[in-house]
Amino acid sequence: MKFSLQQQAADEATLPWLEDAQKLGEQPAADWVKAMRHTGAEAFSRTGLPTPSWEGWQHTHLRPLTQTRFHYKVEPVKFDINALPSSLLKDAARIVLVNGQYKPELSATPEGVIVMSLMDASVQVEGIEEHLVTVGDLATAPFKALNAAYMHDGAVIIVKDGADITQPLEVLFYNAGDADKAPSLQPRCLYWLGKNSGLTVFERHAGVGAYFTNIYTGIFLESASRLKFYKIEEESAAACHFSYTVLQQQKHSSFEGFSYAAGGRLVRQEYQNLLIDSGISCNVSGVYLLKDQQCHDFTVLTDHFEPDGTSVQHFKGVIDDQARSVFQGKIHVRRVAQKTNGNQLNHALLLSEKAEASFKPELEIYADDVKCSHGAASGQLDQDALFYLQSRGIPATEAKSLLIESFLNGALAEVSFAPAREVYEERIREWLGH
Amino acid sequence: MTMLKIENLHAEVGGREVLKGINLAVNAGEVHAVMGPNGSGKSTLSYVLAGRPGYEVTKGKVIFLGKDLLSLSPEERAATGLFLAFQYPVEIPGVSTTTFLKTALSAVRKQRGEKELAPVEFLKLQKEKMAQLGMDADMLKRGVNVGFSGGEKKRNEALQMAMLAPKLAILDETDSGLDIDALKVVAGGVNALRDKDRAFLVITHYQRLLDYIKPDIVHVLTHGKIQKTGGPELALELENKGYAEFTGDAA
Ligand SMILES: Nc1ncnc2c1ncn2[C@@H]1O[C@H](COP(=O)(O)OP(=O)(O)OP(=O)(O)O)[C@@H](O)[C@H]1O
Ligand SMILES: [Mg+2]
Repeated sequence: MKFSLQQQAADEATLPWLEDAQKLGEQPAADWVKAMRHTGAEAFSRTGLPTPSWEGWQHTHLRPLTQTRFHYKVEPVKFDINALPSSLLKDAARIVLVNGQYKPELSATPEGVIVMSLMDASVQVEGIEEHLVTVGDLATAPFKALNAAYMHDGAVIIVKDGADITQPLEVLFYNAGDADKAPSLQPRCLYWLGKNSGLTVFERHAGVGAYFTNIYTGIFLESASRLKFYKIEEESAAACHFSYTVLQQQKHSSFEGFSYAAGGRLVRQEYQNLLIDSGISCNVSGVYLLKDQQCHDFTVLTDHFEPDGTSVQHFKGVIDDQARSVFQGKIHVRRVAQKTNGNQLNHALLLSEKAEASFKPELEIYADDVKCSHGAASGQLDQDALFYLQSRGIPATEAKSLLIESFLNGALAEVSFAPAREVYEERIREWLGH
Repeated sequence: MTMLKIENLHAEVGGREVLKGINLAVNAGEVHAVMGPNGSGKSTLSYVLAGRPGYEVTKGKVIFLGKDLLSLSPEERAATGLFLAFQYPVEIPGVSTTTFLKTALSAVRKQRGEKELAPVEFLKLQKEKMAQLGMDADMLKRGVNVGFSGGEKKRNEALQMAMLAPKLAILDETDSGLDIDALKVVAGGVNALRDKDRAFLVITHYQRLLDYIKPDIVHVLTHGKIQKTGGPELALELENKGYAEFTGDAA
């Protein structure tokens, strides 16, 4: 592969990334995969990492990412199989990716679901190319470009037309890193649901040590398909996690996404929800629980192209110590997208004086017959409520937990699948120290 | 037996001295009424006893069941047996009334070294007390006091008192906001708890409540001090003459 490394944009931290990408580019692959790697690497070499002067990057600073040398390796990773966390749910099937590499020998697939590695899918599945290409402009999305440059790892999950899969599927991303050879992980995943099919996914991100994971996830929901997508981000304390989820929904499809974010040193989860037909429902909600020096960013765009869509973005966050959160949410309603119902709500609870929350809520509406709202606010624990609880004999720490849990429950109410709610509640209680 | 002994209690709130030397002793089995004009410091006294942050004691001491009350946290005071029915109960959205009651009861029992109530026992107790207070089961699912009417909030205070079975209950204007029937019901709840080991400090503006909860002793509090202490007849006297005698204002 030939591309010019543009030194002016690449710096000390990112130049080795481009060298790694150049090496990877030589790995055998279908022509269109090679072309994608090439375009990605070139785009990234032009922009480098985003800086605070970029639109959408004012509040999320990348120092933790550039401080450590992260290296990409194509060879299969060595890891301790006993270190894998146990399954989330007793009756769920589970597939495992270790450092971004799909491990069929550790995976089981629910009946009716096809799972294969990204590279296998790229040559075996008809029509896969248009589902794996990067959506959107790479010049404004360096992490997308970077992921494309390394196109090799990851998995593809396909549900056939009409298949209603009742067994939940856990997709475990287990990442093992260490300080001197911190890996750069660049998996690309696809969830492709055929017409009128249904699936429930728990996507869990966990690991040990220092690593940088940069995931690109494409979600394709064909007409009348239904996906429940429950994400659990509990990366190791030293990890940097960037994820870009591009959701493309067709007529009458529904997406219920919920994200629990509590891990990592620096995390940005970005969603681009494209509701390209009518009668679509799209819910991207979540909770974030931050402490120490953690920095977490949710950036969510929901774009209504056609009429009769319903969308929700409902987030609640709890921020302690010197942690920082960023929420950038936008609902975009195009001119023809009449009767759109869009709601966005974000509340953060600051538990310490040094905790910080930044919000950028936006509505951009071009249709005239819509119902849209947004609200964002941060506050502290209600001291009167705290005293009231204590005066009834409830110890201060327990009273605080009770108030925090009840605050977070506001967002958890978006989760319709009870076992998922329990998984989240358990983690919240654990985070609170019970 | 002296249950509560307040000696020369001075307290500030918002940088202003509101309690200016309160002396008060309550024995087990007694009902004391505290009456006084608006702003005289009645609620301040109740908050100081319950341990509300922002209410700073500058002088004096309080002994409750042999313990130095002022050195205890609010939850320890509750576990020791102090209960305050708030003049203005607090709303807690997102915490259901039943969760709240269960958490409170098990926290108090734990601190008292009693074993936790089994869920069925708890539900039985809750049902029984709610029936006594004529409360609708529907409110158990709602957030604590959220959207409750004034009267419902006061009944909810009475319910919490009945469940926690304190040694000393301070009722801060529990009668305000209650209609005549509700007043009888709530007073009935208080009277059901009356026994020789329990005491009440009833703050009120009106004789009406004292018709139902008969006090043994009545105190007049004005300007942050107890100005006069007497029997039940003192309340009737105040009803007729007002506080002019104690405030220095003309009646
Ligand atoms: N946070 C505060 N900052 C300043 N002053 C306060 C504060 N809280 C109470 N006060 C003052 O303390 C005084 C006593 O108030 P308190 O609530 O104890 O009166 P009260 O006797 O209960 O009156 P009421 O019969 O109206 O309930 C009042 O003058 C009140 O304005
Ligand atoms: Mg008062």
